[in-house]
Amino acid sequence: MSERGRGGFVLVFVVFMLFAISVTAATGYLVVTSEFEMAKHSGQGAEALTVARAGLERFIAEQIGVVGDSVSYALGNGVALVTTRKIVQQDSVTDLYYVRSEGTVADFFAPNAPARRVVGGYAVHRRRPLAHHALAVLSNNQIVVDNGGEIDAEDRDNSGTCPGGDADEITGGIARVSVTAPDSDDLDGDPDFEVWPGGYTEILDSIGLRWDVLSDPGFPVEFENTLPNFGSIPSDSFPIIRYTGWVFANFAGRGVLIIDGMFDPGSSFDWEGIVLAGDVDDIIEGDLNGLLVGGLDGPATYATIDYRMRSHYHSCDVYAANETLSYLELLENTIFEAN
Amino acid sequence: MVGLGARVAGTRAGFTLAETLIALVLSSFIIGLVSHTFLVQNQYYSTQTLRTGAQDNARAATELMASEIRTTMEDGVLVAGPRTLTLRSPVTMTIVCSKVGFPNIDVFNDGGEGQIDTLEVAGVAARDPATGSWESANATWGYINSSAAGSAGNCADYGADTTGVSATFHRLRRFNLLLSAVPDEGDVVMLFRETTFKIQASQLDTTTLGLFRGVYGDSLLEFATGIDTTAQFQYRTGGTTYADTVPSAALSDIDAIRVVADARKAAPTGGQDDITFGWSVNVALRNIR
Repeated sequence: MSERGRGGFVLVFVVFMLFAISVTAATGYLVVTSEFEMAKHSGQGAEALTVARAGLERFIAEQIGVVGDSVSYALGNGVALVTTRKIVQQDSVTDLYYVRSEGTVADFFAPNAPARRVVGGYAVHRRRPLAHHALAVLSNNQIVVDNGGEIDAEDRDNSGTCPGGDADEITGGIARVSVTAPDSDDLDGDPDFEVWPGGYTEILDSIGLRWDVLSDPGFPVEFENTLPNFGSIPSDSFPIIRYTGWVFANFAGRGVLIIDGMFDPGSSFDWEGIVLAGDVDDIIEGDLNGLLVGGLDGPATYATIDYRMRSHYHSCDVYAANETLSYLELLENTIFEAN
Repeated sequence: MVGLGARVAGTRAGFTLAETLIALVLSSFIIGLVSHTFLVQNQYYSTQTLRTGAQDNARAATELMASEIRTTMEDGVLVAGPRTLTLRSPVTMTIVCSKVGFPNIDVFNDGGEGQIDTLEVAGVAARDPATGSWESANATWGYINSSAAGSAGNCADYGADTTGVSATFHRLRRFNLLLSAVPDEGDVVMLFRETTFKIQASQLDTTTLGLFRGVYGDSLLEFATGIDTTAQFQYRTGGTTYADTVPSAALSDIDAIRVVADARKAAPTGGQDDITFGWSVNVALRNIR
């Protein structure tokens, strides 16, 4: 056989083998890649759903004050875009919102078609969540109003001060065992006092706030262990201020004062709004135009409070401070997958 | 004698018989080898294709089912058998924002009517705001749908933010005939589907089982073929164990459903064993409960 004849035969053989190998490789590649793509898209869809749900729950958990229109969170490998819409105003202090969370997880190979899932749910917005049970609600056994102290639960504001002003007179003081005043003029309310033997648990169950959330260091507040410059913020702004530890409060201000620790107000303490305290010192002084709720951390350290604070009920200050504590509460059993 | 492969110059002599025979033997051997390789590869490819198909069937079937199972409403499991599962899950969740047209109600629905799969609507359920539980009744979309306009305006009067989304407000009717009371403003109203999943003999491949799905008032439709005889539904009622049947009195205790969707494909030509793929998913009924 000539060189030419042998070369032709080998060429056919090689071409045929190359073709067979190519077909096999191509089909194998297609099988593997299609499986991989399907599995990947399936996984990304599930991840997008998780991101959407996480975004919805995080938004509701962190929301406090005015409900924002939209917020976006980077969660894991995805992004959750949460939007809200007010649907119903149930009454003057309660609204219902639709909260929608769209979770997307980007696909590196298809950036224009990310996996996307949407969940929705309904939430009630409690605009003034703190209940006005009494001007001073303390978990201690006894409150003794004396030494210049005063509890006057008749509203000092009127309807011209704010809508809802000139509110009904509320209870003066609440303690576990007794609230007394040697001079009866120093304790005024309707009624003057109530006894809540359940102490701090009864208070926690009835005030309408999540103290565990508000006192959690991870829960963001506007001012942490510092006061704002009240001259530089709007006069109708009632910010949330949180202090931790034993707080000797000898300052003036307005808003919601959260004391995650011992509230120890001195004679220069002057506050407009709401004071929430984990525990209360045995002697409290100063001025309060609003509400005081103390002893939320647990059983009170001191059995008796020497109440020297001049405290008056100003419903408008309480309303304004209360609205900064407003929060969303998810309506149970209403989360659904919108797509 | 002319030697093998040798040719006399100037002549046009062909291959000798011996050359031809040797070439035929050699080429037959090579072609046989290549063919065998090709057939083995082809067999492997067929097996892989079948395996992929089986996995696709199982995965697609369970994925579709899982999204409905996950969103099952409270007390929404109606039948819980080893081969039959009937449940209710939300098509959408609306909220009543006006009762101006009492007994008709105006509701908000994300995306408006266009986002509602109206053919799947099997009924309505209203949430008791005090207990969070649902009162439900079967009804088609045509029965409850009202074409009356003005819902967005009515809802705006009750404080709804309708800016740019007036089409997401809609009027529903006849709740006074379906429920014990017409839902109030602020009450959540669910439009639900009622789906039956069934594992039974396939209509497309008689050698295997199929997974069928049917919505309320409609016939079952096969959506996955090649399901093995071991496939079934299992139910968890608290704890960690699953049972394949739950008595009707305990249906409301079901908190998770396992879909065992083992897949099977007949062996490829020349193959000995069927292609099987064991696959199951556990789905917690977490979305609504």
